[in-house]
Amino acid sequence: MRTSLILVGLVCLSATHSFADNTLPWAEKTDAIGRITQMPIGFLGREELDVLVQAGEELFEAKFKKSEGAGRPMATAAILPTKARRLSKTAFARTSGPDAASCGACHNEPLLGGAGDFVTNVFVSEGFTNADFDSINPQFSNERGTNHLFGAGLIELLAREITTDLHDIRRNALKTARSEQKPTRVELTSKGISYGFITALPDGVLQLGEIDGIDTDLVVRPFSQKGVMTSLRQFTVNASNHHHGMQATERFGARWTGESDFDEDGMTEELSSADVSALVAWQATLRPPIVAKPDNAEWQAAAEKGKQVFDQIGCAQCHMPALPLNSLQFDDPGLFDVAGTLQTYQVEAPATYDLAMLEWAEALPRNDDGQVMVPLFGDLKRHTMTDSEVDAFGNELMSQRFVDRNIFITAELWGVASTAPYGHRNDMYDLTEVISAHGGDARASRDAYLALDEVLQQQLIAFLRTLEIK
Amino acid sequence: MKNNLKISSAITLVFSIGLSAAQSSEFPFDVPNMIEQSEQAGITHTYSGPWEYFVGGGAASFDCNGDRMPDLFLSGGKGKAKLFVNTSSAGGNLSFAEKALDIGRSNLKVLGAYPINIDNDAYTDLVLLRLGANQILKGGPDCSFTKANKEFAIKGGREWSTGFAAIWEGDNALPTMAIGNYVDRDAPGTPWGTCSPNMLLRPNADGTYSEPLALEPGYCSLSMLFTDWNKSGEPDLRITNDRQYYRGGQEQLWQITPGETPRAYTQNDGWETLQIWGMGIAEADLNGDGYPEYALTSMGDTKIQSLDEESDEESPIYRDIAYESGATAHRPYTGDDLKPSTGWHSQFIDFNNDTHKDLYIAKGNVEAMTDFASYDPDNMLLGGIDNKFTEKGDEAGIALNSAGRGAVIEDFNADGMLDMLVVNRKTNVNLFINEGAKTSWGHRPMGNWIKIELDNGDINKDAVGAKISVKTGNLTQNKTVQIGGGHASGQLGFNHFGLGVAERATIRVQWPNGDWSHPYKVFANNHVIIQRDSPSANYWYPAED
Repeated sequence: MRTSLILVGLVCLSATHSFADNTLPWAEKTDAIGRITQMPIGFLGREELDVLVQAGEELFEAKFKKSEGAGRPMATAAILPTKARRLSKTAFARTSGPDAASCGACHNEPLLGGAGDFVTNVFVSEGFTNADFDSINPQFSNERGTNHLFGAGLIELLAREITTDLHDIRRNALKTARSEQKPTRVELTSKGISYGFITALPDGVLQLGEIDGIDTDLVVRPFSQKGVMTSLRQFTVNASNHHHGMQATERFGARWTGESDFDEDGMTEELSSADVSALVAWQATLRPPIVAKPDNAEWQAAAEKGKQVFDQIGCAQCHMPALPLNSLQFDDPGLFDVAGTLQTYQVEAPATYDLAMLEWAEALPRNDDGQVMVPLFGDLKRHTMTDSEVDAFGNELMSQRFVDRNIFITAELWGVASTAPYGHRNDMYDLTEVISAHGGDARASRDAYLALDEVLQQQLIAFLRTLEIK
Repeated sequence: MKNNLKISSAITLVFSIGLSAAQSSEFPFDVPNMIEQSEQAGITHTYSGPWEYFVGGGAASFDCNGDRMPDLFLSGGKGKAKLFVNTSSAGGNLSFAEKALDIGRSNLKVLGAYPINIDNDAYTDLVLLRLGANQILKGGPDCSFTKANKEFAIKGGREWSTGFAAIWEGDNALPTMAIGNYVDRDAPGTPWGTCSPNMLLRPNADGTYSEPLALEPGYCSLSMLFTDWNKSGEPDLRITNDRQYYRGGQEQLWQITPGETPRAYTQNDGWETLQIWGMGIAEADLNGDGYPEYALTSMGDTKIQSLDEESDEESPIYRDIAYESGATAHRPYTGDDLKPSTGWHSQFIDFNNDTHKDLYIAKGNVEAMTDFASYDPDNMLLGGIDNKFTEKGDEAGIALNSAGRGAVIEDFNADGMLDMLVVNRKTNVNLFINEGAKTSWGHRPMGNWIKIELDNGDINKDAVGAKISVKTGNLTQNKTVQIGGGHASGQLGFNHFGLGVAERATIRVQWPNGDWSHPYKVFANNHVIIQRDSPSANYWYPAED
C-alpha cells in the first residue's frame, strides 16, 4: 500500500479578506466544503486522519446553504437519481424532504452524531413511484426514528468481516460441489451468527431458498433500522441527497446522470468524493457507547443481576453482547459497495486508517485471540418482529429494498440508555414498552420478560440503562 | 459545491485526476476500453473466399460444454469453420482452445451460424448457413456435434443462405425456422434481379419438418428476425434485403400466424417501400414503450426505425430516427477516407453498463469497391440521455483497419462487462476484452449489471420469444429473447443488462406463451437463473481457478 497522498488545502483565515472573493468572516457558507481537495488514498497517519475527521465533523454539523447546493428542486429523495415530476415549490418538506439543513439537526442526542427524538423522524420511501414521493402525504412512506452513529465504524468493520466469511463459505461450497459433482449444502455462519443455509450445485448454481436474515448476495448491510445499507459511505450519499439535497458527485454527477446539475438547483459538484470521505471518516471514528458503572450502589448491583437476566431470558440470542473483530483497519471506500457509491476498485486505492490509533480504542475489550470484542448488543441480522398476537412492529406501509414490512435488523443496544424514545418509529416511551412490543422471532424472550417478577424486570432495565453514549 | 458559472480550472483538474479520467466533457459516461487479444487468447481464424463470400462471415456464441461460459463457432467461408472452447477464467484474460469438428465437409462453405436448441434436449444445436446445403448440427456432450438434417427431415437446399431466424409457434415442440437466401446463381441473368426465395420450415408433430414453405418474392436477404413489432404476442418475420441485386424489391415484413400461410405486409397495410443495401438487423426497445426499434445496416447511412404515431397494431408504419439519434454512421468517423461506409452486423447492447443502449456496427468494404470507404472502422455508438448516440469507437480501441462482417458481443470472462468477437474478411478475427473505463491509474469497473438466463422448461428451454423486463427505480428495460438478426451471427445464453448505479433490480418475464412471471428481486452484479414457475431466482457463479 502506498503512503497517503492526501492534499489538504486548508482555508486560511487571514486578516486581509477581500469583499470580492466571498470570504467575508460573516459569510453564510460552510468552510469545510471542498477543504479536502482530493480523495485521500493509502495509509493515513493520525495527523492526516485528524484533518479529515475535523472536516467531516464540520460538514456533519454544517447548515448547508442554497448557495452550496442545498435543495433539490427537480430531484426526488430516491437513492437512484430520479427526476421530480414537477418543480418543488418548497425548499423543505417534512415528508419527502429535504427535511434538514444539517446532519446534526437530527443526529444530536445526547451528542452530535447521536440519535433523535420523535420530532426528528424521517419518512422513508424508495422515491420512485407512489407519486415519486413528491407528495407531502406521509402515506407513501415509512416513518422512522433517527439512529445514533456512535461506534458506526466498528459496526461496518464487523459487517465487512462477516460478509467476507460468508463469501468464503459460498466460494468453498461451489468449489466442493463442482469437484465432487454433487450438491453441497452448508450453513452460513460467522462470528457465531447463522444466516441459514445455501446449497451449491455441481454446475455452479447457488440455491438461496434457505438463507435467513440477509440479502441474496450475502452482503451484510448493517445500517438503517431495516438493515439495508451497506456502508457509511452509501448511507452518507443517500442521506445527503434525501435530507439536504446535497448531491454527491459520485452518484448524481455527470458520469451516471449525464448532467452536472442533476437536481437543477444551479449548483454543480455539491459534495465531492473527498467531502464524502471526510464525512465517512468522522462517522467511522466516532467512539463506541459504553457500559457505564452507576454511582449508585443499588443500581450497580441491580445492573449486574440484570445482565444475567438479559442472558437467561434469551435477549442475548439476538442482542449478542459482543462480536469479535479481527482488524481495526478501516478502508474507505470499502469492498462491498457497488457503482453509485465509490468502491475499492473504483479508485486508485482506498484510504486506510487504523481505528487503533484512536484513544477510545484502547478501552475496547479483547478476547484471548486478540480480537476486539465489540460490545454492540446486536447480531447484524434481520428478523421477523411480529406475529399474529404481537404486531406493534408491523405498522409500516411499505417494504423497503426487498425487505418485508415487519422485518428489521436487530437494533444494537449500545447507547440505548441515551436514545429514548424507542422502536423503529421512535414512538415507544420507555424500555418496558419496546420490550413488550417484540413479537415474531423475539416473542419467546419478550414473553419470558413479561413473566418475570417485577424485581427481575427492574434489574434488566437497570442493566439496559447503563448502556450509554458519553 | 460550485456555482454553475464559476467552475474553476483548478477544481476541474482535481476531479479529472481523481475520477474523470475516462470522461470527456461532451460525453460524460464511461467509455469501455476494448483491448484486442485474439492472438493471446488462442484464436487464429479468417473468413475468406471469392465473390460468394463477400457476404457472410458469421459467428455463433453459445455454451457447448455445460459450463455456462460462451464458446464460439466461427464460419470460414471457403476455408474451414472452427469451434473454439472458452477456457477463460472468471474476470481474467480471454482464452480459447480450438476443438476439432467431426462433421465432414460441412465445415466448408459456411457463411453464418446460429445456435438454437431445436430438439429440447440438454445440448445446444447449430444451424449452419452455407453456400449450398445448409446443415443442422445436433449438439452433444462436451462440444460434440453430429449432422442432423436427416433426423429432422430437413433438406438443406442448394441456395446461398445468409439469414436465419427462429421462433416457437403456438404449442409446437419444435421451432419454426426461417432461412434467408441471397442471389440465385443458377438463374438466367444472375446475379442481377435473381434472388432466391426465402424459406420457412415448420415442424410436424413427429419431430420432423415439413417441406419448406417459400416466402416469395425473395429480395436477396442478408438478415432476418422474428419480432413482435406490435405487441400482439405473435412475432412476424422482418427481413432486410440487399438492393445491390434485387429488382423492384424492398425491405419486408411477413405476417406469420400459426397454422396459416405467411403474408407479406404491403403499402395497403402502411408498410412503406424502403430500398437499402440491407446487411443486418438489430432490435431493442430504445424508448421503453414496449415496442421495438430496429437498426438496419446498409451501405451509406444506417437506418433506425421506430413505430410512427400513425401506426397501429395492423399497420407497421415506421419512421427513421437515425439522424435525430446521431446514429447514421454513414462514413468513417476517423481517418481521411470520407467515402460512405459499409455496415454489416449490428447489435444493441450496453457496453458500459450505464443503462443506455449502445449500438455496435461492424464495418468493412465489400471487397474493393472504390466508391466506398476502404478504411472503415467499426462503430461503437454509445447511448446517452434522450436516446442520443455518440461515436466512441476510436476511443474505445475498436477502430482497427479490418473488414468486419459478423460479430458476437458477449461476456466471455463472466465479469459483467461485454467483450466482443468480430469476424473479418481476409484477416484474423478481432477479439476484444472489455477492461472497463480507462483512468490515469488503470481501469475501473463501469456501471452495475445483471445477466439473466431463462429456463422455460421442457419445450423451448431457452425461452426464445420471452420478454424480459428489468426495473430499477423508474427505469424499465425490455429485451426479447431472440434467435436471428445481426449479420449471419447469433448467440444464446445469458441476457445482459446494464444497471448503472442500481444496487438491485426487479425482473419480470413474459414467457413465450404469454404468461407473466411474478417479480423476481435480485441484486446487481450477479448471473441470475430464472426457472419458469420457480418462486425465487438463483444465482450462478463461474468456476474459479
